[in-house]
Amino acid sequence: MFEPKRLHPISAIINFVKTLKDAALPLILVLVLNGNIFRGNVDWLPLLIWAGVLLLVLGSGIIRWLRFTYRMEEGELRIEYGLIFRKKRYIPIDRIQSLDFSEGIFHRPLNLVKVSVETAGSSGNEKAEAELTAIRREEADELEEAIFQEKKHKWSGYDEESDMGGEIEESPREKVYGMTMKEIIMMAITSGGAGVVISGVAVFFSQFMDLLPVGTIYNEILDWIQIGILVVAFTVLVLLLIAYAISIVMTILRYANFSVFLDADDLIITRGWLEKKQMTIPLNRIQGIKMEENLIRQPLGYASVTLISAGGSVLKNDEHQLRLLPMIKREEVSEILKKVLPDYEVVKDFHQPPKRSLVRYIFRHSWFGFAAAIPLSVFFFPYGLLSILGGVFLAVLGWMAYKDAGWNVLRDQLTLRSRGIIKQTYTMKKYRIQSSYKKQTYFQKRSGLSSIEVTLTSGNGRALAYCYYMEEKDSNHIMEWYRMKKIREKPAKV
Amino acid sequence: MDHQPTQRISLRALTLWRIYGVIQAGIILLLTIGLTVAIVLWGWPWWLWLIGAGVFLIQFLIFVWLVPKLRWRRWRYDVREQEIDLQQGLFIVTRTLVPMVRVQHVDTEQGPLLRKFRLSTISISTAATIHKIPALDEQEAERLRQSISSLARVAEDDV
Repeated sequence: MFEPKRLHPISAIINFVKTLKDAALPLILVLVLNGNIFRGNVDWLPLLIWAGVLLLVLGSGIIRWLRFTYRMEEGELRIEYGLIFRKKRYIPIDRIQSLDFSEGIFHRPLNLVKVSVETAGSSGNEKAEAELTAIRREEADELEEAIFQEKKHKWSGYDEESDMGGEIEESPREKVYGMTMKEIIMMAITSGGAGVVISGVAVFFSQFMDLLPVGTIYNEILDWIQIGILVVAFTVLVLLLIAYAISIVMTILRYANFSVFLDADDLIITRGWLEKKQMTIPLNRIQGIKMEENLIRQPLGYASVTLISAGGSVLKNDEHQLRLLPMIKREEVSEILKKVLPDYEVVKDFHQPPKRSLVRYIFRHSWFGFAAAIPLSVFFFPYGLLSILGGVFLAVLGWMAYKDAGWNVLRDQLTLRSRGIIKQTYTMKKYRIQSSYKKQTYFQKRSGLSSIEVTLTSGNGRALAYCYYMEEKDSNHIMEWYRMKKIREKPAKV
Repeated sequence: MDHQPTQRISLRALTLWRIYGVIQAGIILLLTIGLTVAIVLWGWPWWLWLIGAGVFLIQFLIFVWLVPKLRWRRWRYDVREQEIDLQQGLFIVTRTLVPMVRVQHVDTEQGPLLRKFRLSTISISTAATIHKIPALDEQEAERLRQSISSLARVAEDDV
């Protein structure tokens, strides 16, 4: 593992394609502006420039491949690269949190993987600490193994939590969860885009129904206008449906073969058909879990479970990537979590805010809707009144938020449930909570209510869990629970 | 959770916040003067002037007299061996607990006005949040920074 290694030559091509993709627009512009290609009298100069640029890009891709080497040396992953300026990046193995593998269309046929190196500190950055564009899978496994060995060597008290688990012999990864095709399809159908499509269809049909008795054609001009509207509406509808279909197919492609493995101290999530993704989440980086039920999925009894994890930059860009259970029957969550994260317990019964907070919830959710309804009603008189319905809808949402709010303290675990639009249930350990707030206005003080907010570290900064307008003694209880010292409540073994 | 934290921020903060308030009020005053000029020059309706003057007065009362007072009275903190306890907020009173184990680093900062008043703001960062105690006495802030950072170092870490 000490001799410098190159990436697979295909990465030159990948570099080339990537640069080309970035530079595509100007290149196409040159082609288009130089429009007379198609007319025969070709102006050769721009074309030559074009070809030159292409060659240059290809050349730089190849040179960059030639220049890029990586090796393991003295407990560091050493990467040297750079087209004109030679750059060296040495990453201490200690700091490497995980290696994430992904396979694009170039990788698949050649059994290659792209490796992203994640370090503890890379959460704030845009990109992964280091990226190996394409290496053979065996090499990637070798690298992972080498890092693992190296860490095992060095680890003494650096991260006791993981060390405790270190006794476990290198176990083959154990599959703890797999998504069924039915669940993936359900997820795709009920995704956020669905709401737009459904309302689109509803609007279309309400129009269509009005126009249906076309048999009475005595005002042809009017009809023509209406048909014009119909055509537009139909086109929009078709476009929406196509977009919807595409999003369904994309979701299926992205989540196909979704499975979760447990490998000693890491959680490994793999998914995808065309582009395979593998993510490694060290168990000791997990800060908490969040269960979400949106308005479409909740009536169907489905929820999604997301991990809140510190660090990891790839996780940042795509919120879906942290999904542990993207689409799951609510009742099954508890059972699966018992296998994956036995420390966390899904609680059923919640303490709820008292009756007198209901008004506050409704007001909190709907005041803006009603306030906005006033000018709308005044300025667009008869139809503007419809905006009051928006306020009513928000008020209902507020009522639901009241119903859904709740908290539970179970040993060292806090669960807070709340609803903005989506119902969210955060479950977290005391020793993962970064800070906790109790908030109270003057009027809340008079009626003995207050709110609790707690923060967790997450890949993109922080996650905030809350429960509003609970009994003041309850929030005091939570604050006391949070403050109470810590008789080593952390489990001895992960 | 029933008793408030014991420590208060420096009384000089009051003066400082009042100065900020005066600066803000000064801006409003300039606008009002501009308005007056416009009324005289172009014959704008005179009641506009009343509004301008009213806004200025209210702003002056609230941000020079009332808000600094309430804010100062509300601001309390305690730095204990295991945790930092903060209380702040005008209308929404927020009580914040930050365990020492969670503290990652402490900074003190000082702008020109603060330096003039020998005050300094301390900010305590955790992995997720930043908590500030504004306008502490310079020496107090320095002492606090050192004690927090040493307490944070002692507290066992487990992230």
